[in-house]
Amino acid sequence: MSEWFSVFKRGLSVDNPLTVLMIGLCATLAVSTKFEGAFFMGLAVIFVLTMSAILVSFLRHVVPEKVRIPVFIVIIASFVTIVDLMMKAFLPTVYDFLGVWIPLIVVNCIILGRAEAFSYHKPVKLAIADGLGMGIGFSAVIVVLASIRELLGSGQIVFLGTKIIGFPAWYKGPNIVLLFPGAFIIFGFMVAGAMALNRRMSARQVQTSQRCTIEEGGGS
Amino acid sequence: METFQHFALLLIGGALVNNILLTRFIGLCPFFGVSSSMETSFGMAGAVVFVMTLASSATWVFYNVLLEPLGVGEFLYIPAFILVIAALVQFVEMYLKKASPGLYRSLGIFLPLITTNCAVLATATEAVKPGFFKMNMAYGFGFGEALVYTVGVALGFGFALMSFAALRDRLEVAPVPNAMKGTPMAFVTAGLLSLGYIGLGSWFGL
Repeated sequence: MSEWFSVFKRGLSVDNPLTVLMIGLCATLAVSTKFEGAFFMGLAVIFVLTMSAILVSFLRHVVPEKVRIPVFIVIIASFVTIVDLMMKAFLPTVYDFLGVWIPLIVVNCIILGRAEAFSYHKPVKLAIADGLGMGIGFSAVIVVLASIRELLGSGQIVFLGTKIIGFPAWYKGPNIVLLFPGAFIIFGFMVAGAMALNRRMSARQVQTSQRCTIEEGGGS
Repeated sequence: METFQHFALLLIGGALVNNILLTRFIGLCPFFGVSSSMETSFGMAGAVVFVMTLASSATWVFYNVLLEPLGVGEFLYIPAFILVIAALVQFVEMYLKKASPGLYRSLGIFLPLITTNCAVLATATEAVKPGFFKMNMAYGFGFGEALVYTVGVALGFGFALMSFAALRDRLEVAPVPNAMKGTPMAFVTAGLLSLGYIGLGSWFGL
């Protein structure tokens, strides 16, 4: 069980997909203008990541090495289609806000990257831990970023139509926080903070930038 | 004249005003991954223009000839498009290896990367369903419009990638506070660059 927990914990801290590995940035920066959107995006990613990790790990002895990438893509695309249709049916306002980012979960490097690097080689139990850990690590960062941006930009955080927290009415947020530059700049400071935290927590060298590559072995 | 203006607006709108990297955050992984050297970003930009144009044309035909008449476009387009793109990239790679080894060497390493790049899938989807991205266009693109729009988006991608690479070259020698060294500073720089692109939007009155 302790191995399970240590795999789970890695996704939250030293291997955090966003602040350390820098993969899956596109969706993070784009949907983080609203707390609500970021929250459901996080849930969608946790679902797709965990379910595809289970299936990939379950089929790891059946799927031949050569065709694994197309198989992974089909598995991921099926779960994304489930999320796409479910969200359209039950949360139409959130679906309109997230728009193209739901289908784009298919090409989110985190999911294919974890399937390739972890789930394909490990038993189902550990794959679940990795999927949950990476998913929650992703969601935590995106929700924090969205809270900062919505609170500073529009002065309040609204979740499914109810106001959770807000500044007094005289507060007029700078619009730039909600526009594109705000996302880049605030995320830059968050990465700086996370890097400082990681340095403090462990003396070991943290890889600061990793290319969003899926290692393609074999003939390709 | 009318049509010329329409196509010019599609091209500029795709390339600059709705720049895929800096104003819509699509395809950011290579933006931060390969932009540390000018040479690789040039190779990546070339590969993206090439693959994106091919992929959008292929998926447009695939969607309008096969998926839409069969009535399955609504829920099958995600897996179908990604498979079409992956297969296409694979074929292009094999063809280039045989036909033009020089080009293959310069584009080669970027081709598999592009399959999982969201910019290609996003543009292919957009060429089929323009309303999807809140582009103020209710109708579907014709083949010519889809093609022009895709070329615009791809050129905008290349331009933004290369200008960012140039900025990062300069950033290497700039005195940056210790805590912000490396990636954090790259993000802040990208923020300032995207501020410039917002200005372009009002420039063209779009």
